[in-house]
Amino acid sequence: MTDTPVFISSIGMVSALGVGRDQSAASLWQEDRRFAPLTLFPAGPDGPLPVAEFRDLPAVADPPRTHQLARLAADQAMAACSTPPDAIVLGCTTGGMPATETTQEEGIDDSAAYRHHGVGTVADDLARRYRCTGPVVTLSTACASGATAIAVAAAMIRSGRARRVLAGGVDALCRLTYFGFKSLQVIDPDGARPLDRDRRGMTLGEGAAMLLLADRPRTETDLQLLGAGLSCDAYHPSTPHPEGAGALAAMQAALVDAGLSPGQIDYINLHGTGTPDNDRAEAMAVNICFNGSPPPLSSTKGVTGHTLGAAGALEAGIAALAIQSGRVPSNVGIRNVDPALALSPVTSATPLPVRRVLSNSFGFGGNNAALVIGKAAKKRPTARKTADMPLIVTGYACLSGGGRTTDTLAALSAHESCRGCLADQTVCRDLDPRSIRRLKRLSKMTLAMAVELKRKAAEADLPGVVSLGTGWGALSETADFITRLMESAYQHPSPMAFIGSVHNAPAGQVALLLGARGANLTASGGDYSFEQALLSADLVAGNPSEPILVLGADEAHAALTPLFAPSEVSSEGLADGGGALLLRRAPVAAGTCVALAVYRSHRQVDAIGETVADLGGAENLNFRFGAILAGLPAAHRTMARDQLNRFLKISGFDGPVIDFRRLTGEFATATAIAAVAGVHWVATDTVGAPGVGQNPQPLNGKGVLVLGLGPTITATTICPP
Amino acid sequence: MEKLLAELKAKIIEILNLPDVSPADVREDDQLVGGPLGIDSIDVLEMVIMIEKDYGVVINNRELGAQVFATLRTLADHIQKNAPEPVR
Repeated sequence: MTDTPVFISSIGMVSALGVGRDQSAASLWQEDRRFAPLTLFPAGPDGPLPVAEFRDLPAVADPPRTHQLARLAADQAMAACSTPPDAIVLGCTTGGMPATETTQEEGIDDSAAYRHHGVGTVADDLARRYRCTGPVVTLSTACASGATAIAVAAAMIRSGRARRVLAGGVDALCRLTYFGFKSLQVIDPDGARPLDRDRRGMTLGEGAAMLLLADRPRTETDLQLLGAGLSCDAYHPSTPHPEGAGALAAMQAALVDAGLSPGQIDYINLHGTGTPDNDRAEAMAVNICFNGSPPPLSSTKGVTGHTLGAAGALEAGIAALAIQSGRVPSNVGIRNVDPALALSPVTSATPLPVRRVLSNSFGFGGNNAALVIGKAAKKRPTARKTADMPLIVTGYACLSGGGRTTDTLAALSAHESCRGCLADQTVCRDLDPRSIRRLKRLSKMTLAMAVELKRKAAEADLPGVVSLGTGWGALSETADFITRLMESAYQHPSPMAFIGSVHNAPAGQVALLLGARGANLTASGGDYSFEQALLSADLVAGNPSEPILVLGADEAHAALTPLFAPSEVSSEGLADGGGALLLRRAPVAAGTCVALAVYRSHRQVDAIGETVADLGGAENLNFRFGAILAGLPAAHRTMARDQLNRFLKISGFDGPVIDFRRLTGEFATATAIAAVAGVHWVATDTVGAPGVGQNPQPLNGKGVLVLGLGPTITATTICPP
Repeated sequence: MEKLLAELKAKIIEILNLPDVSPADVREDDQLVGGPLGIDSIDVLEMVIMIEKDYGVVINNRELGAQVFATLRTLADHIQKNAPEPVR
């Protein structure tokens, strides 16, 4: 990792505050709280609760509301920029859910109507809009998503992988979150009053904020993303650690990353949702971090509402407004400060020179993120940790219709099918029945792999960082939640299903199991979700003493898979599973190295030629790799087949090429199983049989290349020491 | 009351998916939340929905919830006192 500063070239934002910098600033300084009863969809028999809707969106169904909000914010950020960004990193929790819910209500079962469902489709839409052909990553870490995305984007710039990254967060109001949070009894019927003695919860909002980050300033006054810190509570799926231990760790990590002491922070924008638990835990953490005398602070969620996946990015925008205007925003909504919190929030917008702001975002799964935004330091105070060592594999596990790790690898090595859905009993055989009583298939599959690794791994190899890629998230919980909501005419949503339905629930469960308190990431980008998880983990995990667990998993669901991913339904039925790699940073000679070498759009000119070049050119590629595991997703098989043929032609590669999805079955993160097979083969210096009835072949000390093909082209290299 | 207690035991085991717990293991006067069954705040919310759905009794704030869910017996009492239709 280099010491490159990360500049904020421009910021776009949209929320109940308005569209753009000027409107948002005006509403913020006027403390214009526009909470009003929900109008977007029927609120059920109890009547509408107050929300912070964005009222000025055109009423079109396509694209969904989330995509529209993201475009509005991103268009502002990209207005002064004529060249495409090198990468896009977006935080989002609901994706096309607003449209999916309406479509479900109307009883439509045409899969085309659900094509925008995936959380990753929002970032893909932006990539097409601004012709971005580099990495497009979606992070779904609940209410920490926006800040997590900015942290990963900043790491991308510092690592030199990108020079300009469009990063931020978005979420639109939808039934899932409205009724979900209502069922948790964390919505204040009188509107959110963060830090108030009588606070009863949050007010849901919606919006988007996008930052164009760059490795060099556009103007002399460009602010910087000075630091970022990520952590996980590893305490409870939805309740924060009572003393705010994870929140404190994230704040401290952000300050260390920025090279700043707590005394150098001029304002804290709190997560401050207004729920009794969050505000109490956060107040404790802030008081510890700032030794009982924090700088001026406030939560702005009493004016914006809680915009969930957008919040961290929107509040980064608010931090910038505070610095640029020399004013700290008010903790709108508060009447009586809760004396138990021992904090003194700013109760009216106050002129004050602000140079550096700490902004907090915390979410379900105990996922925490803190950002430091500020004016450029004259001189960088400290050199950052270096992370130029590769990722070395210390353990692996997988699961498929063919069984657990041993059976799955045996099938793949013999070129036999392992597709299908493994029986629940086999998935759960090593799991404590009490600890999984509330969990459904995706979390169980993910935990099964984690438990297997925990048993085999040395204590020192157990992970701090956990990064999960999932194309579709927890489909069982999502289906259960929507079904019960609709069947009960919006009266009896399931809190348990809601908590389980968030994309990052499985990674949070893994953290709980392993006591993993480092960055906890969940990436979701269709067929490339595993690669996104690997890339994101590689970027944020710089500490050699903190091992990393990267997983990819997806569950098949009888009702939802045919709607969301019709290409994954074959004549042999559905398939699901996943793979997990336990990694640590170590010198190349220490073991099998895994790296994501390529992640690009097929729209890039000569995308395949560039991919071969990135892998060192034809000669080098043939020297390094003895086999290719090629992923040709069914939805794009013709395109992928052409790409593979071109790759083989340009590279002249003549070793075994294994079309792995024919064996694993079709599901978004099948690549994770392929990566595990590749690691296993490199470790045993034998490659699986290239065809039915053929024998495994020696790898002769070479590595394995896992190619992801289709609209995105990825290459994961697996090389021996 | 006995009938209601027995009914609640069965429902709690079912909706909370408590493994290896039989109705006899759920004792009327044991601490319900944070007690031997491993029931936590999420389970309470799930029970809140069940009680509203099956008995028409709404428990919509934390302070009330903490009193009502102290034990199985306090829960049954609350339902009996507040149900729109008599519950035995």
